[in-house]
Amino acid sequence: MRQGFRQSMAWLHTWSGLVVGWVLFAVFVTGTATYYRTDISRWMQPELRREATMSPEALAASADLAVAHLQAHAGGARTWFVTLPTPDRPLVELFWRNRPGTPPGHVLLDPRTGAPAALRATRGGDFFYRFHFELNLPPLWGRWIVGICAMVMLVALVSGIVTHRRIFADFFTLRRDKAAQRGWLDAHNVSGVLALPFHLMITYTGMVTLALMYMPWGVTAAYRGDQSAYFAETGQITRDRPATGEPGTLAPVGPMVARALATLPGPLERLTIVNPRDANSTIVAVFEEPHGLSHEHPQVAFAGTSGAIVEVLSGALRPAAKTFTTLVGLHEAHFAGAALRVLFFLCGLMGSAMVGSGLVLWTVARLPKAGAATGFGWRIVHTLNLGTIAGLPAGIALYFLANRLLPLDLAGRADWEVRAFFGAWILVAVAGAWPAPRRAWRLALAAVAGLFVAVVVADAATACGLWDDPAWFLGFDAALLGLAAGFALISHKVARFAAPRRARRAVPEPAPRMEAA
Amino acid sequence: MTASTSTLVVGAGLGFLGLAALCLSLGRHHQALWPTPPDRRRVLGLRVAGWTLIALSLAAAIRLEGWNFGPVDWIGSLTGAGLLLIVVQSYRPRALLWLVPLAAAVTAAAALGALA
Repeated sequence: MRQGFRQSMAWLHTWSGLVVGWVLFAVFVTGTATYYRTDISRWMQPELRREATMSPEALAASADLAVAHLQAHAGGARTWFVTLPTPDRPLVELFWRNRPGTPPGHVLLDPRTGAPAALRATRGGDFFYRFHFELNLPPLWGRWIVGICAMVMLVALVSGIVTHRRIFADFFTLRRDKAAQRGWLDAHNVSGVLALPFHLMITYTGMVTLALMYMPWGVTAAYRGDQSAYFAETGQITRDRPATGEPGTLAPVGPMVARALATLPGPLERLTIVNPRDANSTIVAVFEEPHGLSHEHPQVAFAGTSGAIVEVLSGALRPAAKTFTTLVGLHEAHFAGAALRVLFFLCGLMGSAMVGSGLVLWTVARLPKAGAATGFGWRIVHTLNLGTIAGLPAGIALYFLANRLLPLDLAGRADWEVRAFFGAWILVAVAGAWPAPRRAWRLALAAVAGLFVAVVVADAATACGLWDDPAWFLGFDAALLGLAAGFALISHKVARFAAPRRARRAVPEPAPRMEAA
Repeated sequence: MTASTSTLVVGAGLGFLGLAALCLSLGRHHQALWPTPPDRRRVLGLRVAGWTLIALSLAAAIRLEGWNFGPVDWIGSLTGAGLLLIVVQSYRPRALLWLVPLAAAVTAAAALGALA
């Protein structure tokens, strides 16, 4: 090793962080938004009317209605997925794949009428959820890219801890009165160290959720690559029942739903119907996770033609499988109630801030001397930084704005919302190449703040007549205004601080700071 | 207030007090409130108090939520408390003078409520 261990680690931290930083920022921001996935979906479909309760009879009737619709429209599909209505989301959601290469079928039904629900088309919070690990790319590509970035993120985290000499002495330190570089370094350190348990946990468990894709060799060797056999043997899903090739008729599903509800406690979440037209068809009733850290869905499997129960899965995982489901459960945090969820969200924001401030720090630490021209590499990093850190939030704001402003009957409306998201992102990224870096930052962040305010205005102007629970919608809008205020504040700070010149002298160690009250 | 929320309040309150004590045991932050750096005895006292309070917050989380959720709640509440503390002592360090008693009062009330 040419230099000391710590210097090597500092080098590793700087460059590993830089290469994956832009992707990680997007992963952190969309992952943080995913903590409120169902709330985002609810906000994006203000026409939805919630119900006080959902009776077992209503669930059974919804299941019958779903199967009737699928028999009529998805006869050729190998698997049908039916999400059953809940009081918060009284809709029947159907999903099926006809054959590889064709777009999957998807429809939302109103359980009272059986007709497609009269809601605006949107991908809602699910868009952020999928983007978080697939980046809107073909799933395999996206998952590999995110996974590799997460692995590098672990390298950056550990080398960052080694590099941070004064990790305890500087634990509480956020110096605002010093050079810009010092301030960014403090912000990077504080957001990194304070939520370090979260950062390590979320990065590691994130990779665990897709570990079998990244490291399939164990399953390849022991199960000849049959992942569903592995999941079934570890008790995470019910056993596969292969198709016989003989035609069969599905027995009525309603009574099966009633029996599933009588067999296991807890809300029933969805049905998976495999090989619906085969003599060996299977219906799996999947329940919501019971309250616990572990991510495991109790399930009851029925033989589709007779309606007899063939398997019941509930708890009873062995230690290895339990470890896996607990790590996944920690990542998803479905167990978190409102208060703990806020803390998870704050930790996610700190993760985004850590990545963002690290990226900015790279450019601030390499600012050319006053009057000197910036190098090509510096400009590239600066442009990508601005394009990501301001561009992504601008995209999110425009995604929400499009949800309120696009005509309700527009063909492909949900896709247009996604195009608005990427359009805004690309626009900000291109504008980020503006020759004056500080002004570009200030304007871009101010624009993001303005866009979030515009979302709230558009919501109040176009949708307030639809709100079923005004207090809830106002709360969501208040959170958006909070984000807008945050971006406005940072824009203001940038205007004051990030002057494109190096601190001229070494920063003296802290003088006693006496502040008047 | 649900059980889990009061756990978070107790955990965050104790964590806030503990982290504040540790923070004030450092010269830089001590001098944001008082004219001189802390002497040795004071440093020692603040550190013992700080770590004791943080240990107490862990004990409280486990007592109230058990070994499954306790540690998760504890780390979450400690992170939240740390964030509040850092923001306060960077921007309004003197606010600690009234925030500390306030946090102690809120914690005591929430703890009584949770145990009652």
